[in-house]
Amino acid sequence: MVTYIVRRLITAALILLGASFLVYLLTAASGDPLEEYRASSAPNKQQLIDARTELLQLDTPAPLRYFKWLGGAAQCLIPFANSCDLGKNIAGQPITDALGHALIQTLTLVTGATILAILIGITLGIVTALRQYSTLDYGVTFMAFLFFSLPIFWVAVLLKEFGAIGFNDFLRNPDVPMATALGIGAVAGVITAVAAGGAMKRRLLTGGVAFLFVSAVLIYFSATEWFKNPGLGPVVIAIAGVGIAFAVTLLSAGLKNRKALQSALIAVGVGLVVYFLIQPLLDEATFLMMVLLAVAAVLVGLAIGFLMGGYDRGQSMRAAALTSFLVGFLIMLDRYMQAWPSYFNNSRVRGRPIATIGASTPNIEGDFWILSLDSFTHLILPTLALILISLAGYTRFTRASMLEIMNMDYIRTARAKGLSERTVVMRHAFRNALIPIATIVAFDIGGLIGGAVITESVFSVRGMGFLFLDGIQHIDPNPVMGVFICVAITAMVFNLIADLAYSALDPRVRVKA
Amino acid sequence: MAESAGVDVPDVVGIEPILEAKGLSQGQIVRKRFLGHSGAIIGLVVFAIIFIMAFTSVGYAGIPGWWKYSHEDVSPLIHDGAPTASIFPPAWGEHPFGQDRIGRDLFAMTMRGAQQSITIMIVIGLIAGLIGVIVGALSGYFRGWTEAVLMRLTDVIIIIPALLLAAVMAQLAGRRDSGSWFASFASNNGVLAIGIFLGLISWVGLARLMRGEFLSLREREFVDAARISGASNARIIFKHILPNAVGVLIVNVTLTMSAAILTETALSYLGVGVKAPDTSLGLLISQNQAAFATRPWLFWFPGLFIVLICLSINFIGDGLRDAFDPRQKKFNAKKAAEIEVDPAPVTAFDELKGK
Amino acid sequence: MRFGRISKAVGVAAAAALALSACAGNSGGTTPTTAAAAGKTGGSATVVEVNAFNTFNPNTADGNTDINSKISYATHSGFFYIDNKLNVVRNEKFGKMEKSSDDPLTVKYTINDGVKWSDGTPVTTADLLLQWAAFSGYYNDADTEAKTGTSYFSYAGDPTGLALTDFPELSDDGKSMTIKYSKPFADWEIALGGPGIDIPAHVLAKKAGLTDAKAFVDLLKGMPRGDKAAPKPANAQLQAMSELWNTGFDTKTLPADPSLYLSNGPYIVKGVNQDQSLTMVKNKDYAWGPEAKLDEITVRYIGDSAAQVQALKNGEADIIAPQASADTVEQLKTLESQGVTVEVGNQLSYDHIDLNYSGPFAEKNVREAFMKSVPRKDIVDKIVKKLDPKAAPLDSQLFVPDQASYADSVKNNGSSAYQDVDIEGAKKLLNGATPEVRIMYNKDNPNRVDAYSLIRESATKAGFKIVDGGLGKSDWGKALGDGSYDATIFGWINSGVGVSGVPQIFKSGNDSNFNMFSDPDADKLMDELIVTTDKTKQNELITQVDKKIWDSAYGLPLFQAVGVDAYSDRITGVKYMPNQTGVWWNFWEWAQK
Repeated sequence: MVTYIVRRLITAALILLGASFLVYLLTAASGDPLEEYRASSAPNKQQLIDARTELLQLDTPAPLRYFKWLGGAAQCLIPFANSCDLGKNIAGQPITDALGHALIQTLTLVTGATILAILIGITLGIVTALRQYSTLDYGVTFMAFLFFSLPIFWVAVLLKEFGAIGFNDFLRNPDVPMATALGIGAVAGVITAVAAGGAMKRRLLTGGVAFLFVSAVLIYFSATEWFKNPGLGPVVIAIAGVGIAFAVTLLSAGLKNRKALQSALIAVGVGLVVYFLIQPLLDEATFLMMVLLAVAAVLVGLAIGFLMGGYDRGQSMRAAALTSFLVGFLIMLDRYMQAWPSYFNNSRVRGRPIATIGASTPNIEGDFWILSLDSFTHLILPTLALILISLAGYTRFTRASMLEIMNMDYIRTARAKGLSERTVVMRHAFRNALIPIATIVAFDIGGLIGGAVITESVFSVRGMGFLFLDGIQHIDPNPVMGVFICVAITAMVFNLIADLAYSALDPRVRVKA
Repeated sequence: MAESAGVDVPDVVGIEPILEAKGLSQGQIVRKRFLGHSGAIIGLVVFAIIFIMAFTSVGYAGIPGWWKYSHEDVSPLIHDGAPTASIFPPAWGEHPFGQDRIGRDLFAMTMRGAQQSITIMIVIGLIAGLIGVIVGALSGYFRGWTEAVLMRLTDVIIIIPALLLAAVMAQLAGRRDSGSWFASFASNNGVLAIGIFLGLISWVGLARLMRGEFLSLREREFVDAARISGASNARIIFKHILPNAVGVLIVNVTLTMSAAILTETALSYLGVGVKAPDTSLGLLISQNQAAFATRPWLFWFPGLFIVLICLSINFIGDGLRDAFDPRQKKFNAKKAAEIEVDPAPVTAFDELKGK
Repeated sequence: MRFGRISKAVGVAAAAALALSACAGNSGGTTPTTAAAAGKTGGSATVVEVNAFNTFNPNTADGNTDINSKISYATHSGFFYIDNKLNVVRNEKFGKMEKSSDDPLTVKYTINDGVKWSDGTPVTTADLLLQWAAFSGYYNDADTEAKTGTSYFSYAGDPTGLALTDFPELSDDGKSMTIKYSKPFADWEIALGGPGIDIPAHVLAKKAGLTDAKAFVDLLKGMPRGDKAAPKPANAQLQAMSELWNTGFDTKTLPADPSLYLSNGPYIVKGVNQDQSLTMVKNKDYAWGPEAKLDEITVRYIGDSAAQVQALKNGEADIIAPQASADTVEQLKTLESQGVTVEVGNQLSYDHIDLNYSGPFAEKNVREAFMKSVPRKDIVDKIVKKLDPKAAPLDSQLFVPDQASYADSVKNNGSSAYQDVDIEGAKKLLNGATPEVRIMYNKDNPNRVDAYSLIRESATKAGFKIVDGGLGKSDWGKALGDGSYDATIFGWINSGVGVSGVPQIFKSGNDSNFNMFSDPDADKLMDELIVTTDKTKQNELITQVDKKIWDSAYGLPLFQAVGVDAYSDRITGVKYMPNQTGVWWNFWEWAQK
């Protein structure tokens, strides 16, 4: 095992050396850094050309420049020496600084999108696999391929037009006409009916309920100007909490496990009590506090489950922990909604909360809630765009993997010995289907750092992709190399992790030493 | 539709195809299943229509087409360039898709763009398929040093950013007199050059996948049987193993092809793809993205064709995947046993795609 | 036309040259125009820029991007600024700049009392001297060929004017400075002291280990002019200072040390959010120039034009100046219903087609025939009319329509023969010949591509065989003048319009004379031009050169580039400006409604 890892790391280092040499030469060969001066009629044209030539050391052949660069880069390997030198870009900024900044920008942009895309993609993949060749399957497949086929700059322009500008206009006077409410309700009803599956009667019933519910809620929201002063309140949290308790129990333990259901319901009750107690504390919230509260919620849930006991303590604990975490999330959501009006009317926001560019409103001031709302309103559009286009891959892959597993002999065995469908799907099929998915996820996380070139440019985020593209456009090898090194190292590390994870998850796969 | 009564019981696919496959050869099963996949059939028909329309309307390689304009002809602006096609009464008019700002016919440009995009797609499919199969087959079959060298080569290609290669490539294609045969080829056959180039970097995902297939297939009994009866390595690879891996191969080639169109679009958006005055669908929509609100037809028609081509190719691939599925399932269980790396269809430009 | 990293100095020089030649009557106006603005004081505005801010010294070769110049312009003041009519407007509240003698050309700069940096230190001639030392390259003795000597300040602008001066004469009170030119220099008015005196000498001196600004003045006084032929060892102190000048002000965040971003202008930088935004607030002390109305200006960076328009539409930006295209302008026009004001105007650059005086075009008849077949009106109609309904083909190689002499020059220069496409005339001149013409242009610039397509279409009708010689964006510049093509379509950026730019392009054998135009008479006229300080005389000479160029069938100017800016209904006082200062030229008049 250790020999294997060491061997992989050594080959990785060699590959990195070779590839970085290639990348450097390619960048240097990819254009003419003096282009902007060539057609200039400035009297000091030659002087400007000389200055640029000196800055980029153009009179040194590219291979030699590479070794100079390598000399500086090699110092990054000396721990604690702080002598890392990746050169400077064309505007004189050290690459190490530029990289640090770009990395943060990129990670804020793509992390949420990737995680959500993975979660939604896997869920959709499983659902479509379980209902292969149903209307739902075809619908999801069509939508996934459709979004996959759309160029992202197009998606971005549309999202900005309707999701930001249109929605902000709507928020100015949040009035949903009756016809619109009914229309949206009808769409929701149809979707639910299709998704529900089963006999026609059942479909119609669920569809109808969804239609009535959505329309009524919209009309209620419109009448009470909910969009201006949103909030959940304890009643909604209670109702939603009970729903969550049932759903979580259904998936994690099965409704037959009464103890688990009771634990989950108790967790909801505790959550409601905490809702009232915690409000003053939440006014002083910080990020760390939120993390601690989330941990506390999970611990409380575990404790409830443990105390309830029952024949399968673990299941109760799991159900209660998950429920209390989700109820905690609802409480947090409610607090965000309480902060919404003051964010909405902030003098910097001026009643147009959904942003089309950047990562935050310049100079905005406020507490934790205002600031994180500001981040959300800026991240929501690029995140949506990235999710839409990357959903297809995960959905299709999960579906294929799940279908394959569902045909396995051991699934038939599991069914044959009388296990419930829930147990078969959740415990036998799903976990095994996750094995190959875990490896693509690892690859994707490795690729995260490379940034999303076009998304960054359309949403004016200057992350890794921008740095890379800008370097290429100015024929400036240093930023290109900086980004390349980061991306290549993470990609290779995660590649290795993916291989190791594969063998860890699937005992049949042996790592060859 | 076979909506079985059981609400929670998924279709038991494992049983149905066996009945269906009784007495048929592998090809027949696949064809039968493929033809039964309505999505794939619609995709196939749509793609065929686009293909025929694109290649006959404005002509190809010197053969004139039936449409009166070429993508380079400038004609006087009619209705400020708005589309003249109408549904009621149904008529094409002079410029069915409209005209761009200097009066070129958008229908001709879209058709030319579709030609180019399809050409790129097919070239990529061929090249990536060929290299991917060879590299994957050799490293999976022979293992040892062959495998080590070839797999490390794919590693190098995977980590070199496609965008950078494209920039270098575009730079060479934009150059005229640099003397090398490559530059002159690239400048005379812009699209072909891009296709070849993308093909040369997008085989890596396929190679990894094929290697996985070969790793598991070479351990199978029929391979042992062939080896014992004295078959040469080449014969085992091409006659015994490859036909069994062809399902995975075709599916992934189609996926690579549809991703290729989007890659070309992304490259054109970033200014390193096909160069004007020649055109491609990607170039058309990236050139006209500012026209989104003002002259939307310049944006919608080429965009529509990109989406249609991608969708139809994806559905064809999807149909093929499902058609090959029943046969796949058996050895997939064992495939996992030997695999060292994952069989995900990761292509070199997946991450570039559109993002 | 995107003004990426064009030297600010070149732009200003061009603008000034324009101003000097065009507005002979009224150059050197005295008081800043204080428009009767509608807005009240206070409030804030968000302005969108394409590039991200990265240095407080916009004069260095690395730092002179438009954004750095604009921030420097808003936070510093000087003896003059340039208005949107391209006049040099003197700021007498800051100080006086007077020409005390024509021969030798002598200019005296006097800084008013009370003008000070934001740390309280008065602005003195030491600051002006620092600018002079940097801009003139006086102390440099570097020889790039021989690799000897030292180059101190890495200045991006053109040092030729100030290089003609000797060490300035300084008054004892540190308030006035006199420089003497050894030869007449047409652009003296904008050579020094504005639009901003941006680097404080006392900060630089202290950081380089000198006691104060006076020590710095003494140091410079004691040093002789640098001589390439006899390089001296580098002066350590000056080198330390120039090093600091070159890179010490580079930053992407707000420096911890406030002396690195001192202001002596209407605004002072308050916060820099790396690669996202920059915020400036009013400089409370400032009282020596036009008074600013807004309390706060925020600059955000958006590269993509469509994203800029949508940001304006969504209220995230108040003032934008995206790259102009028909679609951008039209999109902006649709926003007019929600109160957005759109301004369209000319820029100081123009596209043109040049014919080589060799190959198929060696014969004048062929050149003329080709020129007759260029559909200039059609090109203008299709490429720029949508943006600017008043657009017309440019009819002079040397003037732009904003200049008074344009009309006179156009009347006589012979451009009238090429107003309309004359296929018959072209055919007659060709006399049955079908010359093959390779046209080179930048394939990555849609305007050039479209102009090429239209010319190809029309010239083919006249019998020319057009070969597409378009090259990618990184190659076309290199190909200029290498003889691999017969005609080329490209743009001269503004400096082509200036006086010193004229011989650069049109004199025999010069660097930027890519098509090898050569006319002994024109050469003589241009020699005379560069030593002429009288503006009327200058215009006369340029008019004569213009005619010579047209007479020899040089090629055709096509159209002037169009610029656009737009601002929301929250803001008033924004005015279009053709040079790269853009809307910023009168930022003090911006106000919130």
